[in-house]
Amino acid sequence: MFNYKFDWAIITSGQYFDWLVSGVKVTLELSIVSVVLSFLLGLLIAVMRMSNVRPVRWFAHGYLEFFRNTPLLVQIFFWYFGSYKILPTAVNDWLNSTNFEFTAAVIALTIYTSAFIAEDIRSGVRSIPKEQMEAARSAGFSYLRSMQYIILPQAVRITIPPLINQFLNLAKNSSLAMTIGVAEITYQARQVESYTFKGFEAFTAATLVYLILSVAITALVTLYSKKMLNPMGAR
Amino acid sequence: MKRWGIVLLALVFVGGLSAAAWGDTLADVKAKGVLVVGIKDSAPPFGFIDQTTREIIGYDVDFCKAIAKKLGVKLEIKAVTSATRMPQLAAGNIDLIAATMTITAERAKQIDFSYTYFLTGQKFLTKKGTVNALVDLVGKKIGTAKGSTSEQNAAKALPTATILSFDDYPSAFLALQQGKVVAVTTDESMLAGLLGKAPNKEAFEIPDIRISDEPYGLGIRKGDKGLLDAVNATLLEMEKSGEAAKIFGKWFGPKTDTPLQRTFKIMAQ
Amino acid sequence: MQTGLDFSVIWNNMAHFMIGRYPSGPIGGLMLTLYLALIGLVLSFVGGLVLGLLCVSHNRFIRYPTLAVVNVIRGIPLLMVIFWMYFLLPALIGRPTPENWTIIMALTVFTSAYMSQIVQAGIEGIPRGQTEAALSTGLRPFQAMVHVILPQALRNMIPSFVNQFVSMIKDTSLAFIVGVSELTHVATQVNNRTMVYPTEIFIFIAAVYFIICFAFTTLSRWLEQRLAWRRAI
Repeated sequence: MFNYKFDWAIITSGQYFDWLVSGVKVTLELSIVSVVLSFLLGLLIAVMRMSNVRPVRWFAHGYLEFFRNTPLLVQIFFWYFGSYKILPTAVNDWLNSTNFEFTAAVIALTIYTSAFIAEDIRSGVRSIPKEQMEAARSAGFSYLRSMQYIILPQAVRITIPPLINQFLNLAKNSSLAMTIGVAEITYQARQVESYTFKGFEAFTAATLVYLILSVAITALVTLYSKKMLNPMGAR
Repeated sequence: MKRWGIVLLALVFVGGLSAAAWGDTLADVKAKGVLVVGIKDSAPPFGFIDQTTREIIGYDVDFCKAIAKKLGVKLEIKAVTSATRMPQLAAGNIDLIAATMTITAERAKQIDFSYTYFLTGQKFLTKKGTVNALVDLVGKKIGTAKGSTSEQNAAKALPTATILSFDDYPSAFLALQQGKVVAVTTDESMLAGLLGKAPNKEAFEIPDIRISDEPYGLGIRKGDKGLLDAVNATLLEMEKSGEAAKIFGKWFGPKTDTPLQRTFKIMAQ
Repeated sequence: MQTGLDFSVIWNNMAHFMIGRYPSGPIGGLMLTLYLALIGLVLSFVGGLVLGLLCVSHNRFIRYPTLAVVNVIRGIPLLMVIFWMYFLLPALIGRPTPENWTIIMALTVFTSAYMSQIVQAGIEGIPRGQTEAALSTGLRPFQAMVHVILPQALRNMIPSFVNQFVSMIKDTSLAFIVGVSELTHVATQVNNRTMVYPTEIFIFIAAVYFIICFAFTTLSRWLEQRLAWRRAI
């Protein structure tokens, strides 16, 4: 019954090792690009969500609810396969000439994560006393400028731990990009499995990669919350 | 104590990966009265879902029906993909793979194969007039399915091409239709099946570029001799009685969407 | 192919989307999605409660290993958990496991880890004085937890649990990858068969998921407000 032979050498050197390494690279690229974009988009949506202009606020609200309440996998399929019919031919041709699998994964991850980030930022802003905004406005700042210089910098600082959590989720969620052929680490682990039937070794490698990534990110949050949120070492 | 617990856990774990964990399948199948087979649900005309009845039908299904009938048991179909069929067999979720599976030496180390019950070759499906020879595909994006021999053959024949692997062939074909890949590559019979079901088939063609031979076999757990013999005997009988040729004609005959020549006979190997 | 959208493909395949291949095959589609999520919810509620209680244990030989397990699970993608279950489960129970249970177990293990954090936060949110008061009346620590702390903590946790259920419904879509024919898998099946309606099909199932998840999200918010109101008086 126990006739499975471990062969760790297969994934620690040679062709399959190279595959796994290239998978790690793609996972990191995908995650980093999406983290940056989703933060910017999330910030924008959060500001829109708190705008005084009703249609803008409603749009942001609808955006938040829709993208938070549909599975990421469905969104990935939609951007990759479903967007074709509703985009102009020229745009499609251009997208197809690029590495569209990667782009579609970035779009899906960015939009999905930005909805969560916007909510986190909004609760961060809510925790800033109202008087600050009033003071800024009475000092002659416009609404957007008060946001930009007074409210958001503080809110973002408070929001950093939950934000980093979202980035961690994003890195893990990037595994779903394998369904549209993006050769990230989960995809490569599965490739190694189907070429060598050494699933145990391949999945162990991928699991370790994610764990290292998570531990690194979690350590950052811990460090940050210790240093920044509690500079006096109170509590 | 704890250490032994971990060792034991690891052993149990590993046991699950090995194939021959479940004893004599033929006896089990007869005792249960059900033969559970893994068939693709997205690979016309081998296994696909009929729109009105929502049942899985196709060439692979008809062979399994004949085998179940011969064994005197009911047939139960589970949907599998190229990537899930072997793990499903190893896990004991299915007794037999009938999922357009090419017989290869690598796979034969993990599972046993029946005699070849279908023979085809790997080709490309492209937009009309875009590809005339293998050179036209050098460095291009080519779609196929995860865990298939098609993927591995294509990587060998076109080392500089980007091989995009999807979960099934229709997804790869959809990518071709939308211009995301320039070709879909797999066995000719399956390409014909994809093309046959496409609403806009006149826009595509299968150029005469063949990169490999693909003999299909039914997959059985390693060392499961009883079931293997029963399956092989049934296959030979079906060839002799003409039933095998009849099933071929039903799915690949001149009047079907996917007309092909039957260039093989099922024989003992 | 740039034609208008044609949603007739949805109506023609509605039965397939809702119940899969049933009755000629196993039940699938939306029904299976809900089934997986519901069973997964019940199991991961129990799992989360147990893990959460172990996480607040005063015995560090219980607390640290539990925290380690919880954090490892939270550190890897659900997809990885599913792949592991795929190999591990048949070996552990020594016989074939239906794919539905592979998914249910993966969802349970994954969500329990997150639920345990909610439980932990919930218990820690109850003022310490309560435990002390309960202990001073002669209850043992375990009894104080079960009769005094947990009932209050659980009530406060309800909105978070509902949110986890929403995540669970979304997460069932990953069952597609191991070929369990829930809603997303069925959608790709229909997409594979009809070939030229991906936009319509994915918009439709996104809408179906949205309606269900949004209903529960709204419920969770309403519960939260009600609880806040109750606490205020």
